Amino acid sequence: MIGRNPRSVIGMLAPATGLIAIFVFVPMALTIALSFTQWSTQTGFETAQFVGLANFFDLFGPTSIGRDFRAAFFNTAIYTGLSVALILPLSVVLGLMVHQTFAPGGIVLRTVLFSTYMVPMIAVALVWSKLYSPTEGPFNQVLGWIGIPPQTWLSSPNTALVSIVLLNVWQQVGYFTVLAVAGLTQIPTTLYEAARVDGASPWMQFWKITLPLLRNTLLFSAVIAVINAVQVFEPVALITQGGPVNSTNVMTYHIRRVGIERAQGGLGSAMAVTLMLSLIVVIVLLFAAFRDREEQR
Amino acid sequence: MSSTMRPYLRYPATWKSALLSLAILAIAVAAAFPLVWMVLSSLKTPAESMQVPPVWIPGSPNFDAYWEVAEVVNLDRSFVNSAFIALATTTAIVVTSLMAGYAFAKYNFPGRDWLFAALIATMFLPPIVTLIPLYRMTGYLGLNANLLGVVVPNLANAFGIFLMRQYIKGVPNDLIDAARVDGASELTILFKIVAPAVLPAIAALTLFAFVYHWNSYLWPLTVLQGNTDQYPIVISLSRLLSYNRGAMNTGLVMAGATLAVLPPVVLFVFLQRFFVDSIVATGVKG
Repeated sequence: MIGRNPRSVIGMLAPATGLIAIFVFVPMALTIALSFTQWSTQTGFETAQFVGLANFFDLFGPTSIGRDFRAAFFNTAIYTGLSVALILPLSVVLGLMVHQTFAPGGIVLRTVLFSTYMVPMIAVALVWSKLYSPTEGPFNQVLGWIGIPPQTWLSSPNTALVSIVLLNVWQQVGYFTVLAVAGLTQIPTTLYEAARVDGASPWMQFWKITLPLLRNTLLFSAVIAVINAVQVFEPVALITQGGPVNSTNVMTYHIRRVGIERAQGGLGSAMAVTLMLSLIVVIVLLFAAFRDREEQR
Repeated sequence: MSSTMRPYLRYPATWKSALLSLAILAIAVAAAFPLVWMVLSSLKTPAESMQVPPVWIPGSPNFDAYWEVAEVVNLDRSFVNSAFIALATTTAIVVTSLMAGYAFAKYNFPGRDWLFAALIATMFLPPIVTLIPLYRMTGYLGLNANLLGVVVPNLANAFGIFLMRQYIKGVPNDLIDAARVDGASELTILFKIVAPAVLPAIAALTLFAFVYHWNSYLWPLTVLQGNTDQYPIVISLSRLLSYNRGAMNTGLVMAGATLAVLPPVVLFVFLQRFFVDSIVATGVKG
């Protein structure tokens, strides 16, 4: 169907596309442009001085700038990898529990899980910082009941990042469970009936029918989970401030500290560009990995 | 969209079914535990919240912490700020998304698919990537340290356009053509015919946008530059941590967190069908 006239097309599109152009595309282009400059965020864009690739050499160089950036980069990579590795299998298991029609309780589970997704990250961070408390926190007490020694959680560089991953998984897994349920709903029940007639065990049905047919859902989930994970900010800004010993310094926190708080806009933009490029690489690899599996079948 | 509209199920009364049900219940309880702990802790006395080993059930539940939060962080002001941010962005997003979604679903124009793809790509852009220049841009507009600075860059987003397009595609063309023959303007058609037909999608977008902007932290923290009068509740909440009364502020922090959690979670519990349906629509059909 063709719109009445070009003016109505433009009229309908202008508000949304205009706003997105100004507040997403323009700053996106500016981030790229500024990454090649030395620029103080406190001053106008016209004060930016072109320095070529100097910022990027600094980021990957041996100075303290490079060291801090690499720490943030690898912490984010570990955090993202762990988050995705935990969220995807959990979302499938929980999704099956919500979707099954064999025992009651699925909808209750979904409601609880998805409620946690609605909780502001800031509140999640505050509550979990208390749950993790080595002395008056309930986690160590519960571990004590089953004979596991108290953990250091957020207070040791060895466990702090993993602790934040667990907090993130708890908050996010409900969303991915709903995605998994949506995927499960799409699988024709006749496939399972046929498999049962052929004598396939539930275990076989899961590996031969459920998992392969969830591939697109899992790819979508993986992409979203990666994008969500690299944005981790609140627990770091609020509870750990990047510590202990830089063990939880992540990209979002580091970029904001450099680009806004220290006003090193050029350097911060170079970090943002690096994050963006890494993200594109990861997403392309994810697509490639899922496509490979498709071809093998 | 069928996931929530399952017919009444008949569960087999076997011990296997009961066992699975118990496992599901146990997981639900474990998942809810942090929130339950938050509410319980907000009702404890300062001494109880510091006790080792931890006290699970407050001995004499009281709301003292809530009253103290209200004083410490200027709670009513923060609530009004949060409500303004969430309502203003949500209203604008619904209107701009409806208009653009309608154009993408029902108009043919050169470059349509290309433009749509470019917009959708922004859905996957982490806000930190544009944070630094955006902060400078709002500075140019005179919006830094100002509530409007939180709102203005967020009046439209790609997710809304995408969601509306998905649903508006399903509205019959005949309905729209008939209204055109009657001489209705495009805006009239959109708001009088198309919008009512996609009400569930509007409900879903309203809730998503409201929750997202009620919860958002990074951008308001950056653009408000420490102007505490303009703080939304999630940022006021972080101030509770530094408010130190003999380090016994756990109950205070938990009371503040409980208050911040209430609006989005209550909204969700009552309207979860729309959330779930829209995830199904975007996650699978997309």
